Amino acid sequence: MLEVHDLNVDFSGKIAVRNTGLTVRSGESFGLVGESGSGKSTLLRTVMGLNGSWSGTIKVDGLDIRKTPRKQLARVVQMVFQDPYSSLHPRYVIGQQVAEPMRINGLPNPERRTAELLELVGLGGPKFQFRFPHELSGGQRQRVAIARALALSPKLLLLDEPTSALDVSIQAEILNLLNRLRKELGLTFVIVSHDLAVISYMCERLMVMRNAQPVETLTRDQLRAGEIANDYTRTLIAAA
Amino acid sequence: MSTTEIVADPRHAVRAARWAEFKLFARRFMRNPLGVAGLVIVLLLLFAAAFAPWLATHDPYLPNLTSRLAAPSAEYWFGADELGRDIYSRLIYGSRLTLLIVALVIVTSAPVGLIIGAVSGTVGGWVDAVFMRITDIFLAVPKLLLALAFVAALGPGIVNAALAITLTAWPPYARLARAEALVVRNSDYVNAARLAGASEFRIIVFHVIPMCLSSVIVRMTFDMAGIILTAAGLGFIGLGAQPPLPEWGAMISTGRKFIFDQWWIATIPGAAIFIVSLGFNLLGDALRDLLDPHLRQRK
Amino acid sequence: MSNLVEIENLHVAFRNDEGGYNDAVRGVSLTLGREKLGIVGESGSGKSLTGRSLLGVLPPYAKVSVDRMSFDGIDLKAASPRLRRSLRGGRMGMILQDPKFSLNPVMTVGKQIVEAIRIGDRKVGHREARARAIAVLESVHIRDPESVFNLYPHELSGGMGQRVMIGMMVVREPDLLIADEPTSALDVTVRTQVLSILDELVSRRGMGLIFISHDLNLVSKFCDRVIVMYAGRIVETIEASRLSEAQHPYTRGLLSCLPHIDGSLEPLPVLNRQASWAEA
Repeated sequence: MLEVHDLNVDFSGKIAVRNTGLTVRSGESFGLVGESGSGKSTLLRTVMGLNGSWSGTIKVDGLDIRKTPRKQLARVVQMVFQDPYSSLHPRYVIGQQVAEPMRINGLPNPERRTAELLELVGLGGPKFQFRFPHELSGGQRQRVAIARALALSPKLLLLDEPTSALDVSIQAEILNLLNRLRKELGLTFVIVSHDLAVISYMCERLMVMRNAQPVETLTRDQLRAGEIANDYTRTLIAAA
Repeated sequence: MSTTEIVADPRHAVRAARWAEFKLFARRFMRNPLGVAGLVIVLLLLFAAAFAPWLATHDPYLPNLTSRLAAPSAEYWFGADELGRDIYSRLIYGSRLTLLIVALVIVTSAPVGLIIGAVSGTVGGWVDAVFMRITDIFLAVPKLLLALAFVAALGPGIVNAALAITLTAWPPYARLARAEALVVRNSDYVNAARLAGASEFRIIVFHVIPMCLSSVIVRMTFDMAGIILTAAGLGFIGLGAQPPLPEWGAMISTGRKFIFDQWWIATIPGAAIFIVSLGFNLLGDALRDLLDPHLRQRK
Repeated sequence: MSNLVEIENLHVAFRNDEGGYNDAVRGVSLTLGREKLGIVGESGSGKSLTGRSLLGVLPPYAKVSVDRMSFDGIDLKAASPRLRRSLRGGRMGMILQDPKFSLNPVMTVGKQIVEAIRIGDRKVGHREARARAIAVLESVHIRDPESVFNLYPHELSGGMGQRVMIGMMVVREPDLLIADEPTSALDVTVRTQVLSILDELVSRRGMGLIFISHDLNLVSKFCDRVIVMYAGRIVETIEASRLSEAQHPYTRGLLSCLPHIDGSLEPLPVLNRQASWAEA
C-alpha cells in the first residue's frame, strides 16, 4: 500500500529526514515513534504531499505521488491532523466541513454520506451537523476530523499524533474508534506518535526514529518479547 | 437505519446556526456601553439620511435673505447661514452626502484591498511580490495631493473626491488581508482542503477570505471615521462637494468668515463631523474587542 | 509539624456569556506539608486554577472565594497585595509548562536569574548575584553553566530551558514550589532527568512541592500523595504508593483507560462519566 525509498527531506539546510525507507502492506497498521525532531511527522506530511522539497520515491497504492494528480491521490490517502483545535475551519458548521471533500470532487449525495459518516464516528443525531467547531470538545472535533478524512473513502489513513492533544479518557475513546473503523472499513493506518504505549497498542509493526533517521523497525510481538536490537529503543521503553 | 436526520433543507439549518451565533455576538456587544453609544450614533446618521425630507424643517437650498445669519431660535434650531438657509436642515440633508462619500469609498476600497491581499498572501511567490510593491506605491501617495491632482484633471465634485480617497484607502486592507492569509494558508484546515483536491481559488474564496473578514470589518469602521474627516477636509478646501450642496466640510469653510459673531455656522457642522467620526471610532473599538482573536478576553 | 499550606473550601468562578458564572473550582480543600503532593485531573478539572489561586496569580475577572487559605501560618486571605507579591517568588515559586513562554525572550538566561535574585534582595551586588546564578545552574545539572549564562532562551533545548526555569525559581530558596505540567512539553527521555532534579531539590532543601499534571502514572511514581480532581472537585486523596487501591470510579477509570506496551489489545475501557462525580 505504501512504499517509501531513499527519502531525504531538506528544509533549506536543515535535514529533517535522511535516507529513510519503509513499506506498509494493505490492511496493516504501522507506527512511527520518536521524540521531537526525530523526523516522524515530517515523514508523514511528505508522504501526504504537504512538503515540496524532498528526494526519493514515494508510492501510494502503486501510484507515484510526484506523477499523480492531487484529486486522484485524495481518493486513496487522507490525513488526520494532530491538533483538533486547528484542523477544522472556525467559520463553517461541521456538516459542511465533512461534506466539502465530496463537493470538491463532485460526488453525488453529499448530505446522505455526511450523515452516515457522522453516525460512523459517533456523532450521529440531528444536532451535530449544524454545530460550529468551537461548540465541540476536543474529542468531538477529532471525530469530525476523522469523518472528514473518510469522506472520499480512502484506503490509507495517515494519522499525525491523533490523540496527543486529548485527555487520556478521550484518547481511549478515539483509539477504540480508530480500531473499529480500521476493521469495519478495511483501512491501512500509518500512525505517528511520541507515545510508545499508544503505538504498541495500535500498530502491528513500528519504526523508531531518531535525528531524522530510522533506528529500528520491529513488530509488536518483538517489542513485547523484549527482542530489542537498539539501545535507544530500550530507553524509550523504559521511559514510557 | 441512521438516526442522523437528512435535513430537507440543510441551508436553512446552517442559516439558523449562523443566526444563533450572531445573536450571541450581539449580546456580548451590548455589554460594551461605549460600543453601543457608537452604534447609536451611526444609526442616527443613517436615520437622518433616510428620513431627511421628514426631519428637516426648511428647504436646505432655498435662500432667504431676510433671515441671513440668524441666531439659533425656535424657528431656526441651529441658526441660519449667510444665505438665510436653516443650518439644521442643511445638516440633516448633509448627512446623505457624508454617507454617500463613505459608502462609495468603502464599497470600492475594502473589497479590492481584501482580494488583493488574500490572493497575495495565499499564493505567495512573484504574485505576492508584485502586488505588494503596487500596494507600497499607493501607500506612499498622500491623499490630499492625489485629490488635488484628480480635481485638476477631472474637476471638483463628490464623486471625484470619493475616487481620490479610494485610491489611497485600499492598500491598508491589502496589507491586513495578506497578514491574515499568511497565517491561515498554513493552518491544518486549509491543508485538509488541499488534500481533498481543492483549487487555490476555492481555498482563497471559501477558506482564507472568511478568516480575513473580521480584521477587515474592524478596519472599515475605523476607516469610515477617517474618510469623513478627509472628505470634510476636501470640502473645506473646495475640492469636494460644490455649493449649494450642504456638505459639512463645505459648510465649515463658508462659516469661517463668520466664526466670531455667528459661530453656529461653522461650529455646528464641525460638531456633527466630530460626533459622527467619534461614533465610528467607538463602534470600531468595540468590534475589535469582540472580533480580534488576539484580544479575546472574557470579562 | 504544622502544615505549610492549608486551603479550605476554595471556589473559583468565571463569568459566562449569559451573565451567570461558570464554577471552575468548587469547594476544594487540601493541606500540604513538606512533601510532594500531586494534583491530577483532565482539562477543565480546575487543577491549574487551584495552584494559581494559592499563588494569587489569577486573572482579575476571576471570582475567588475561600474560607481559609494559609501559607506557613500567614493568612493569605487577609494578606495585602503587597505581602502576597513579596511571598511570590521569594517563598513561593511556580514553574509552568513551556519554558519558551515563561522565560523572557530578549534577555539572556543569566541576566534573568540575576534579576530574580536581586528582586528578592536589593543589597546583593552584581558579582555575588552572578556567582549565585552560576551556582544554581550547576545545581540543576547544567554542564558548563558559564556559557549557558550568556545564552538566550531560544537557544536552549526544551529540557535545558525547563531546568533554567527551575533554577530561577529555587534560587531564592522558596519553601513552596508549584509545578504546573512541568514535563508535559518535554520528550520522555528528558522528562526523567528533569524530574530527578526536582526530586533532588525538594528533598535537599526541604521544600513543599505541588505537582500539577494530567498524567496519573507519572504523578504516582514521583509524588508522595495524590489528589484527583474532576469538574472542580476533589474526588480522591490517596498515597501514591497505594494508588492501585484507589476507590473512586473516576480514578480507577483513569488508571485503566491507558494503553500499555505489555497490556491487553482489547478495546480500552472507556470512562463512563457519572453525573454524581460532579456532586458531593
